[in-house]
Amino acid sequence: MSVYIQGVMVTGATTPIGERLIRRLLEDEGIESVLAVGLEPEDEAPLPQGYGDRLTYVSVDLGRSRRVRNLLFGVAKELGVEVVIHTSMHRDAKDSGGRVHAQNVDALRSLLDLGERHPTIRRLVFKSHAEVYQVKHDLPILVTEDHPLNMTSGSPQWIRDRVEADLTACARMGLSSLEIAVLRCAEVLAPGCGSQIWDWLDASVALRPVGFDPMTNVLSVDDAVLALELAAKAFGVQGVFNIPGKDTLPLSSISRQWGVPGMPVPGVLASAFYRTRRRLRGHDFSYGMNLRRFHFCSVLDGTRARQVLGFEPQTPVDWPITTGDPAG
Amino acid sequence: MPMPPLLARTIAQARLDAETLAYVDRLPMPGDAGHGYDAFGLHRDFVKLGLCAAKPLYDSYFRVQSFGNEKVPKTGPGVLASNHSGTVPTDGMMLWADVVLKVGRIPRPVADHFVPTLPVVGTFFARGGMVGGSRGNARALLGSGELLMIFPEGTPGIGKHFRDRYKLQKWRVGHAELAIRHGAPVIPVAFIGPEEQMPQIARLDRLGKLLGLPYVPVPATPLPMPVRYHIHYGDPIPTDRDYRPQDADDPDAVAEAAAKVGEAVQALIDAGLKQRGGRLFT
Repeated sequence: MSVYIQGVMVTGATTPIGERLIRRLLEDEGIESVLAVGLEPEDEAPLPQGYGDRLTYVSVDLGRSRRVRNLLFGVAKELGVEVVIHTSMHRDAKDSGGRVHAQNVDALRSLLDLGERHPTIRRLVFKSHAEVYQVKHDLPILVTEDHPLNMTSGSPQWIRDRVEADLTACARMGLSSLEIAVLRCAEVLAPGCGSQIWDWLDASVALRPVGFDPMTNVLSVDDAVLALELAAKAFGVQGVFNIPGKDTLPLSSISRQWGVPGMPVPGVLASAFYRTRRRLRGHDFSYGMNLRRFHFCSVLDGTRARQVLGFEPQTPVDWPITTGDPAG
Repeated sequence: MPMPPLLARTIAQARLDAETLAYVDRLPMPGDAGHGYDAFGLHRDFVKLGLCAAKPLYDSYFRVQSFGNEKVPKTGPGVLASNHSGTVPTDGMMLWADVVLKVGRIPRPVADHFVPTLPVVGTFFARGGMVGGSRGNARALLGSGELLMIFPEGTPGIGKHFRDRYKLQKWRVGHAELAIRHGAPVIPVAFIGPEEQMPQIARLDRLGKLLGLPYVPVPATPLPMPVRYHIHYGDPIPTDRDYRPQDADDPDAVAEAAAKVGEAVQALIDAGLKQRGGRLFT
């Protein structure tokens, strides 16, 4: 893991993943400097202290291509950034529209466009999402990287943007002067990570469709950070990689281990309840968006990431309730 | 079944004898993907629960007799290919129970695509090892050295007319392709008994479509009759001897291998019928 890198730029620096990633990169003496990019002003950004000029923070709206240009050919060039780790993605599933699309897709497109012409940037790692995959009863449960993507008509922008961004990165792979790695990460079950399941669990009772209890895989922040770090340092390696978490368990066990009682109800009731909850209380979880995931199993196969990147999930999700008996 | 493993274990402890519980505890399990489940949803406590449901039928109702189960490999990938019948697929349940109890392995039944869409049933079967019939699922399981249970006749086998009993319906080839690709042996299996348990007098295709099922059967009896089941295992057909893995992409080679398996199953059926004679219930 000891690779010398002049500079690493991390977008989405103020998210839990970005923040933890920056901390980890700074702990590596082989990395000269880290350029953290976020939307928040510097005084509001939760940045690690004590790293002096090895850490630079800039507040930039990546949805505006001019600002991305200024960032890359300004401070990023000065710091000699070689690797860009792009984790920034709009997290709130309720929001939609041009600004959200710009942040989700156009930002990545700008980074790719400009990165190709950049004098120091050699590599781009994009944190994609398992939600880009289609979940269906007649598709394999173990999802490999060539699994069908979720191109279902009528999908919400939250999904569409993620699929588009993923394909935007994949379309350049091998053709661009940049080395591109796309990490399709399992859902990170932690606050502030845009997790639909986390929002689903943020209630006194978690409703799920009666008669179904699909297997689900969730990722911890630590493992997401580990995968991103490994991918950032894997010079010469390109491709799409599934990043599964250490926890594979049924939906009912997720709610149980989270300490939220689960209640199986007819799907129609669950749908109506969560629609109302979303409207009245501003929650993010959309039952319609998760309909298939709440019926059919879908578990990422991390074989390629293990073989090529050396990634093996190590840290389970920080479950509030541990039974002591994994089977219980 | 959407219930915690603890409840499944408690039910199993109340219903199964200590010897059977200890036996299941010793069975080799596929890799734990975390929390006691494998990635497909199999869990040891639900295997015990599955035996709670299957054992009374196995021991007392269908009084299953099994012949040649020593031919089933104890380890490594393999495909059990059997005839399928009976209007309700109790033969699948009995084959699963027979392999668990007599062979000491947890087989992975490969079910039709509609089965995972069935509430409760789909989840309950998945906890016992069933997977939906996608090629990706079967490949992943064979690749990790598991024993698949495939009924190449599919749903048409269950729904065959009484006059067609013990005649194989269209014998699909997917099992042969998978076996060739993974160099896995195919073990032909013949069921004697289920073909007579529940004669079908009609099928309601339209109602089935409405319910998301291939059809709704109209059987002559409300429940399967307590016919005795005979399970005959044939000699494993080693696909790696006659075929290379790349032959899995050759339709002729696959059809030839599947036909060999079909012939072996039919031969076992004929021999099994001869052995049983006219005694359906004894």
